[in-house]
Amino acid sequence: MSKKYDAIIIGGGHNGLINAAYLAKAGKEVLVLEKRHVLGGAAVSEEIFPGFTFSVCSYVVSLFRPHIIRELNLAKHGYDIIPMDASFQPLPDDDYGLCRWGDGSRSRREIARFSKKDSEVYGEFSKVMTHMAKLAKEVIDHPAPDVASINPKELASLLRMGKVFKNLGPEMLQMNTKLLTMSSADFLDLWFESEVLKGPMAVSGIIGTFLGVRSPGTAYVLLHHYMGELDGAFRSWGFSKGGTGGVSDACASAAKSFGAEIRTNVNVAHVKIKNGKATGVVLANGDEIDSKIVVSNLDPNRTYLKMIGEDNLSPNITTEIKRFKMRGSSGKVNFALSGVPNFCKKREGLDHMKGDIAVVPNVDYVEKAYDQAKYGEFSERPYINIVVPSLTDPTLAPPGKHVMSCFVQYAPFDIKEGAEHWPKLAEKFGDAVQNTIKEYVPDIDSLVEHRQVVTPWDLQETFGLTEGNIFQGELTLEQLLFQRPISGYAKYKTPIDNLWMSGSGTHPGGGIMGSGGELSAKSILKERVI
Amino acid sequence: MSQYDIIVIGGGHNGLTTAAILAKKGKKVLVVEKRDVLGGIAAGEEFHPGYSTTGLLHDTSGVRTEAIKKLQLENHGLEFENARADVMLLSKDGKSINIQSDVDSTATAIKEFSEKDAGAYREYQAFIKKVGKVFDNLMDNPPPDIDVEHLTMASLVVLAKKGMLLKGLGNKTMMELLKVAPMCVADFLNEKFETDFLKAGLAAPALYGSYAGPWSAYSTINLLLWECASKSNVKGGPQALVDALQKAAEQAGVEIRTGAEVEKILLDNEGAVSGVRLKGGEEIHAKKVAASCTPKETFLNLFDDFEIEYELDYWIDKIRSRGTTAKVNLAINKSVQLNGKTVEYARTGNSFDEMEKAFDPVKYREVTGAPFLDIHIPTVSNPSLAPEGHSVVSILVHQIPYDFEAGWSADAKKQLGDDVLKELEIYSPGISSAVVGMEILTPADFEERYTLTEGHIFHGEHFVDQLVTRPIPSCARYTTPVSGLYLCGSGSHPGGGITCMPGYLGASMILK
Amino acid sequence: MPLPTPFHPRTSELNHNLDWKDWGGYFAANSYDVVNDFEYYAFRHSAGLVDVTPLFKYRVTGNDASLFLSRLIVKDISKLKLNQATYCCWCDDRGMVIDDGTVMRFGENEYFVTAADPSYSWFSRLIKKLDVHIEDLTDTHCALALQGPTSRDILKNMCNADLDSLKFFWTTSANGDGFEFKISRTGYTGDLGYELWAKNEDALKLFDAVWSAGQNYNIRMSGIAALDIARIEAGLVMNGVDYHSALHALTPAQMSTPYELGLGWTVNLEREPFMGQKALKAENKNGSRWGTVGIDINWPDLEALFKKHGLPPHTDPGAWRHSVPIYDRDDLSKQIGYATSGTWSPALKKNIAMATLEIDYVKPGTEVNFEVMVEHHRETVRAIVGKPQFFNPERKRSILNK
Repeated sequence: MSKKYDAIIIGGGHNGLINAAYLAKAGKEVLVLEKRHVLGGAAVSEEIFPGFTFSVCSYVVSLFRPHIIRELNLAKHGYDIIPMDASFQPLPDDDYGLCRWGDGSRSRREIARFSKKDSEVYGEFSKVMTHMAKLAKEVIDHPAPDVASINPKELASLLRMGKVFKNLGPEMLQMNTKLLTMSSADFLDLWFESEVLKGPMAVSGIIGTFLGVRSPGTAYVLLHHYMGELDGAFRSWGFSKGGTGGVSDACASAAKSFGAEIRTNVNVAHVKIKNGKATGVVLANGDEIDSKIVVSNLDPNRTYLKMIGEDNLSPNITTEIKRFKMRGSSGKVNFALSGVPNFCKKREGLDHMKGDIAVVPNVDYVEKAYDQAKYGEFSERPYINIVVPSLTDPTLAPPGKHVMSCFVQYAPFDIKEGAEHWPKLAEKFGDAVQNTIKEYVPDIDSLVEHRQVVTPWDLQETFGLTEGNIFQGELTLEQLLFQRPISGYAKYKTPIDNLWMSGSGTHPGGGIMGSGGELSAKSILKERVI
Repeated sequence: MSQYDIIVIGGGHNGLTTAAILAKKGKKVLVVEKRDVLGGIAAGEEFHPGYSTTGLLHDTSGVRTEAIKKLQLENHGLEFENARADVMLLSKDGKSINIQSDVDSTATAIKEFSEKDAGAYREYQAFIKKVGKVFDNLMDNPPPDIDVEHLTMASLVVLAKKGMLLKGLGNKTMMELLKVAPMCVADFLNEKFETDFLKAGLAAPALYGSYAGPWSAYSTINLLLWECASKSNVKGGPQALVDALQKAAEQAGVEIRTGAEVEKILLDNEGAVSGVRLKGGEEIHAKKVAASCTPKETFLNLFDDFEIEYELDYWIDKIRSRGTTAKVNLAINKSVQLNGKTVEYARTGNSFDEMEKAFDPVKYREVTGAPFLDIHIPTVSNPSLAPEGHSVVSILVHQIPYDFEAGWSADAKKQLGDDVLKELEIYSPGISSAVVGMEILTPADFEERYTLTEGHIFHGEHFVDQLVTRPIPSCARYTTPVSGLYLCGSGSHPGGGITCMPGYLGASMILK
Repeated sequence: MPLPTPFHPRTSELNHNLDWKDWGGYFAANSYDVVNDFEYYAFRHSAGLVDVTPLFKYRVTGNDASLFLSRLIVKDISKLKLNQATYCCWCDDRGMVIDDGTVMRFGENEYFVTAADPSYSWFSRLIKKLDVHIEDLTDTHCALALQGPTSRDILKNMCNADLDSLKFFWTTSANGDGFEFKISRTGYTGDLGYELWAKNEDALKLFDAVWSAGQNYNIRMSGIAALDIARIEAGLVMNGVDYHSALHALTPAQMSTPYELGLGWTVNLEREPFMGQKALKAENKNGSRWGTVGIDINWPDLEALFKKHGLPPHTDPGAWRHSVPIYDRDDLSKQIGYATSGTWSPALKKNIAMATLEIDYVKPGTEVNFEVMVEHHRETVRAIVGKPQFFNPERKRSILNK
């Protein structure tokens, strides 16, 4: 207990581990404390049922920043991503469905079944999005510029963003406004006509948010598909070998190799604060550990209201942090299956099953699912994003058997019965998901050996995600950039000196990007506080 | 030599404003209006023998004094109320709150329901007052000319000035504005207020004419725009404004032709404007044409295919103008009370959930059975609009989609009328049996009667991208890529509603 | 996963090299044998047969078909006579080329258009209120290119068409044994040659008829690799190689105008408005940014460089399609353009390339420096700028029945 650390990181999710790795690499004494018995936070693999390993929460990897892989040498530590080739959209009535492939001509033919025009417009759409993604990268890979400041450095970073638009013309500038503000459905309407094709495209704008595809402000998330970089190559999505926990394990291994210490099953009660300065942490069992700085990888709500506590905050800050919207909207249902759940028997082979499977037959379908959720119910017929990773990574399930991971939206945290009633509703929710899947896989019931239902309540209680928000806070414009989590403290700092943040609740936001952890560590090192 | 310097298409309030200003500067101006009456959607209409409205729209509180002063409309009989008209917010359980121009009186009225809300309303109006100067500045000037390809010192200075103006708010207000602007109006008002029907009633103007429910992000911007713009009503409503504008225009020498529908804008060999051709074949020549009709009508219907450049055509086609407003005019054989009170203006909404539920069907091209209403009873202040002792109830009905999938048949229209009456019965029991005449106008009827593309009352949705560079970047400063063609209608900055600003700013850019 | 073309049952049997490429979502033979020089020589000495089914093919009909195509394309298509064909390109409104292809007029209001890229979307968004119908024939119609000096004789032996009087870039209908097809005197080799267009269901009948008629005339299957050599010799640009479609190019520098591609001759400027007219008129007046040229690479220079390493001169077999820098004659630090594709020309016994050069350097006869890789060292050799068309035999245009 006597050892004094340079930094204690609360929470062993991937951002916390990356933060630890960067700090340790710079020669700092670092301690990571994780409440659960496993590392990874929401990026975790667990053998829930004997022989079946699940990516319990986050299930695909797309935006992980390639320079983090390089800088932390993660490949050496087991970072291993299997790219996904297909994106399949099953359709009811035993239709052939729509599958989009890496092979452009093949996708074109698939899309042409629904709209010939759309099948060809894809390239033009990609071109615009490529331009837009340049700006997004600029935003993601740097701390957010502070618009309130007239400091030349801040202005310069704003100007750098502006330069991205040079030579693109005013239309592209307006396109950027459109992208940032429009609904994903409206934005796609600028190019596409097929409601079927637009369904799975539009939903990428609403994943993890409590918004619908027709809600303004959802379009910009579409960008993520155009900046998805796996290992620096332009391929969007992939599975982590052994489940998403593999990413966290690689980060942990890298951190340890640089000398970081990692402890699991350690529950931090709050940050130790003396004279407005963080001096360490107090554990739930009363033990105290001292450090020069503390980095909270928890969401803004827990960091401010639990780790710091309202007593140590000015009322203004408390108000602001309470305004920060969490609003979890999704759940997970994980299935252990005795065989392959074929979503389209009309297709030869299983290639269409090896990427993600999006249950969203059209745009209206998912909007109606949202309409139901708006009024406090989980969607009876939800949007489900399904992966069967055991088809590409057989180590996840016993031979011939499979794990099927279903990301389900909408499951509003604030269910009308009250969030605390979620445990009672969990199996009903699981049934709704299974019944929806049955419309495409009639024999699903007989394939299910086990089922794990993860409700927004579970995400909060087990994984510490307030209100079950998988991104540690809504990704709406007023909660991004210099306002994530609150203005004035958007650069990984908090009102408490020496207490920093690194999670998805900081700029640039959620998903397995690693940017929060990385940018936070780099900011800490730059300021030479340790 | 042609007879006119400029032809203005459309004799609505914006068209007349442009024409009058140009004529005052010595230009020979001709206004051509398709209908037999002037005013466009600001024109009062006799919808049933002996019963008239004061306009399709009825809110004149946004009319900008800038334009009025320039045209000395006071000399032509225009009178301001010197205050925003009272608006009664109606609750379904019979309660109501009178929102008045005076913040204190309003707060007192709110206090009856909630002490907290009364305080919140003061804070809310104080915030509006602070940010008001930013919006005033935005509304009274053409949008800044930002040339991204050649960012020059000059344009940077303009930008910096806008920034400074934001700074002038003080850091706190500026950050608050940046925080709330992207929010949905429900979140914005939920943070402040607790009384449902108050929140719903306050939020309603944010949703008028927009493809949005109270939970739609960015609707707060529309609320702030409306609150900041809404200053004082014109006595006699839109029709009075039209009358004054007409007089001012005619006195300045504007020639006005009604019943003259433009079929095509004519181009010369160089592709520059050379005049217009009316339905029936008559050609009128002028080197300049200012169009106050919608941008989509201007570019997509008044030119032949391929006459305008692809790029222009492409972006104009992408303007979103999904009409969501209908109109029901009622001739009533008695005086009308709403929730037991005699009021001229009233809004329903009741709660965010109910307003959101009214919007939900729009997304599926269906019609809600429970729309929310923006009610105007003009006979309260001007009994001459109806026979003695009778009333006119003129209602803007939200959210009613233009593209109703089943189609706007006679039955569908009747159903809409019934639904509106059903809704009205809640606030004015027995009103249905007092109806002696009724006019139902769907967005499709708006398109037909007023040439409003997709029936959109603002010539294009008020949404961030269509407000910042309205309607599209290459036409954002009233000039267009077509030499000699200008825009001066609601499709241009600062947008729809009765403000006269697009007409005013359009004219000033033409004179440049 | 590319699809087999309707000729696949035959072409796969004849492909001894299993060398397939993806061409527009179809399997296309890159070469038919390990040693594939003969596939090229067939074009110049006898006849090479290429499966060109993957070309995108459209039928454009309707009362306004002529008006529509004339608006769409930089050439005035309404001037095209019945059964005439023409090579052309089409642009966006900035005058940047979207694609190039062939248009044939099969009726007063019926046209047949080929393209390198899928074009349905672009074409159909320009229809507006015109009476035009576009039918995509890509997946329902097949095509063979029969190219080379004996191609006429082969066709004469398998159908009834009057080939002796069929002029260059004209078309005719033909009857084979139990099937109908169209013949156009067009091609991508710069030689005497024809392209045959038929319905998919007649594919094998057509193939068998041509193949058996060709046996006495040394017909050979030719792959894309051989075609590439021939088209560079003939100076024919290729979408995606020598230029990028304006619909997909990311920057203005990646886009080209018809003038810049050496296709200025296909532009009819003074007429009713067409897509890109305004921009092209301005360019015609003010000049282009660069031009497309043929590059004649100095052989003795190359020989000398290899000699330094004690080696005989080496050239890549076949054509190449990567970017090679080209420098000013006197200033090697000044890059003035780049080659986009090139080949050792078996006909001319020369190293040739197609290149994009700054406009000041496009005059034929201009001397430039061309980068070459000699035994792992970057070197330059002298090269002469010329017209892209290196090879243009008289037989290409000749007719027998005057």
